[in-house]
Amino acid sequence: MTDRRRINGPPSGTQTPIFASTLKQTPTVRLSPPTRTREPTELRKIFLKTGLVPSSSGSAYLELQHSSQLTSLKITCTAHGPRPLPRSAPFSPQLVLSTTVKFAPFASRVRRGYVRDSAERDLAVHLETALRGVVLGDRWPKSGCDVVVTVLEGEEDAWWGDVAGARERGEGWGLMCVLAGCITVASAAIMDAGIDCVDLITGGVAAVVEEGGGKRGEVMVLDPCPAEHRNVLAACVVGYLASRDEITEVWMKGNASAAISAEELIEKAVGAAAATKAVLEEAIKEAAFVKFPELAKSRGGLNDIDMNG
Amino acid sequence: MAPAATSQVLLSPAELSFLHSSLLLQPPVRPDGRAPNQFRPLVAETDILPGANGSARICFPDGTEAIVGIKAEVEKSQWRANLSEDGAHLGTGGGDVEMEEDGGKPQEEASSHGNGEMSWIELSIEIPGFRDDDPLPIFLAAMLSEGLLAGEELKDRLWINRRFHWKLYIDILLLSPPLSYPLPLLSLTTHLALLSSRIPKLKSEQDEDPLFDDDWEASLYLYPKLPTGKRIDRPPITLLVMAVGSNIIFDPSKEELAVAEAVLAVSVRESQRRENDTSGRRLNLLSIRSVDSPSRLTPSGVPNTMNTATGGSAPVSSQDAVAQRESIDQKGVWNPPRGGVKRALITRIIKLVLEPNGVAQEVMDGLNGVEV
Repeated sequence: MTDRRRINGPPSGTQTPIFASTLKQTPTVRLSPPTRTREPTELRKIFLKTGLVPSSSGSAYLELQHSSQLTSLKITCTAHGPRPLPRSAPFSPQLVLSTTVKFAPFASRVRRGYVRDSAERDLAVHLETALRGVVLGDRWPKSGCDVVVTVLEGEEDAWWGDVAGARERGEGWGLMCVLAGCITVASAAIMDAGIDCVDLITGGVAAVVEEGGGKRGEVMVLDPCPAEHRNVLAACVVGYLASRDEITEVWMKGNASAAISAEELIEKAVGAAAATKAVLEEAIKEAAFVKFPELAKSRGGLNDIDMNG
Repeated sequence: MAPAATSQVLLSPAELSFLHSSLLLQPPVRPDGRAPNQFRPLVAETDILPGANGSARICFPDGTEAIVGIKAEVEKSQWRANLSEDGAHLGTGGGDVEMEEDGGKPQEEASSHGNGEMSWIELSIEIPGFRDDDPLPIFLAAMLSEGLLAGEELKDRLWINRRFHWKLYIDILLLSPPLSYPLPLLSLTTHLALLSSRIPKLKSEQDEDPLFDDDWEASLYLYPKLPTGKRIDRPPITLLVMAVGSNIIFDPSKEELAVAEAVLAVSVRESQRRENDTSGRRLNLLSIRSVDSPSRLTPSGVPNTMNTATGGSAPVSSQDAVAQRESIDQKGVWNPPRGGVKRALITRIIKLVLEPNGVAQEVMDGLNGVEV
């Protein structure tokens, strides 16, 4: 359903036309697709901070390292609850967790409307599956908790200049990276809200990509940025509980070929999630130090984390 | 909340505990007496809707029934610059611009390979009692279309020429209320409907406006048949698998799902085979998704030590209740599962699904028996 209440801008952004003829005269103008400069097992740097929205019981903000000419992931999450369910709601022996994932209208190259589309709803279901396994729901009967995730800047599905290569097919690889970010940031927000959990949950992505121009073979990379790769063959997101060594959410799609098995891909995604855990821990520690200054004195300062899967 | 339909299982903690412990046995004892990897029997028929390009109906013995109708429409493709043709046109706009005519270049032979697009297939699910923006239909639609879109083959077959393509509408209708998680039912019905769907034979050549043979007998199967009557490839199927302890159970019913520790939806497809290929079939894994287990929403049981009616002492506060309940791990007292699944279990599930002569292959063979 289209949004008819507001006057909306054009559905997609416009770019200055670049004509092929001008490109031939000045080959330097020709845009080259971005390439991955990180090691295959190296994750992008993560910025994570909790307690940014005072009106909610818990909130967090996550940002991934920015690379040139590409967008980077920026997600905020607020958790409202646990709070009593409305009187009209039926009895629930467990905490009723409801998740909402919404892309801001300006989060992607093609503008998104205010009404949630099916991709966003699908992400919300994934996020709920991931979180439900961690939250100790039976400690809050008859109460609810809303986890609202707003994606301020999303991951692209492919390089924007690559329309020519018919890559603009909406394969949704970007969504998988967004989901991993959502899991981590929602976990931080839930911690900030003080909801009891069995463990810290973090999200991680791994993908099988075609490397280079020709068919030089398939490479497995952690924390892929889909725009940096010519072709993504398969990708996997996991929600991972590091200290229990368990997975609450797994989403894998694509043709996991014979050379690289699905098990291996899941293993790598778990590696990425485990590496993210260090950042989450540090962010929670930082929040604790702000809340309890005497704790900071006894424990010493904070440090940046090196992540390698 | 993915399996909202199945979350309202009206079973008491004692019943849940009984179900759970019988499913934990080696081999598990299922309420309907099936083997762990046995599917429910089903009634299937194809080509039931004369107005559709392909259709199928499947009935499960518990009374759930689904109909899938597939319609194909010719649609104009959006023009897009092609890198492989002459250097780089950096496409900046969509529109229906045609640039090939004026160049005087000989028209390269147009092939459909790799030209298919995701947007050419549209899948919608209608479940009675659910709005179409409820999480369950959306989750199911996403899961089913993920499998269909994973390979290039189906998309490429929808390509007519550079200017036109088929748009495939897959409409799934669940006729009964979702008594059990309807994923396997919908997936199998879609599989059969796709097998039975035919599109008219193309008479025009290359980039002309498409003109089709009006003889329906001459129409071509969307999943082409070899002269031997076998298919080159088949649409994917999605299986629902659940785990209790170390037991892996296929095609769980509603009651079994209520005590599941992990639920996974796995999409598989037979890999394409050549005309004279007689080697064993291989299965490809297309997607895995974890499904939110309804068991996490079930009420936990109260042990005798906390129940005054059985001689125990009631907890004094809610905190005390939580502390007491969580500290004991008594057999026969139902506790909803917590945390996730071990990686090794997921690996085992994948292996069980993909193994030769495994469950997926058995289901495929069963569907082969349906006359299309």
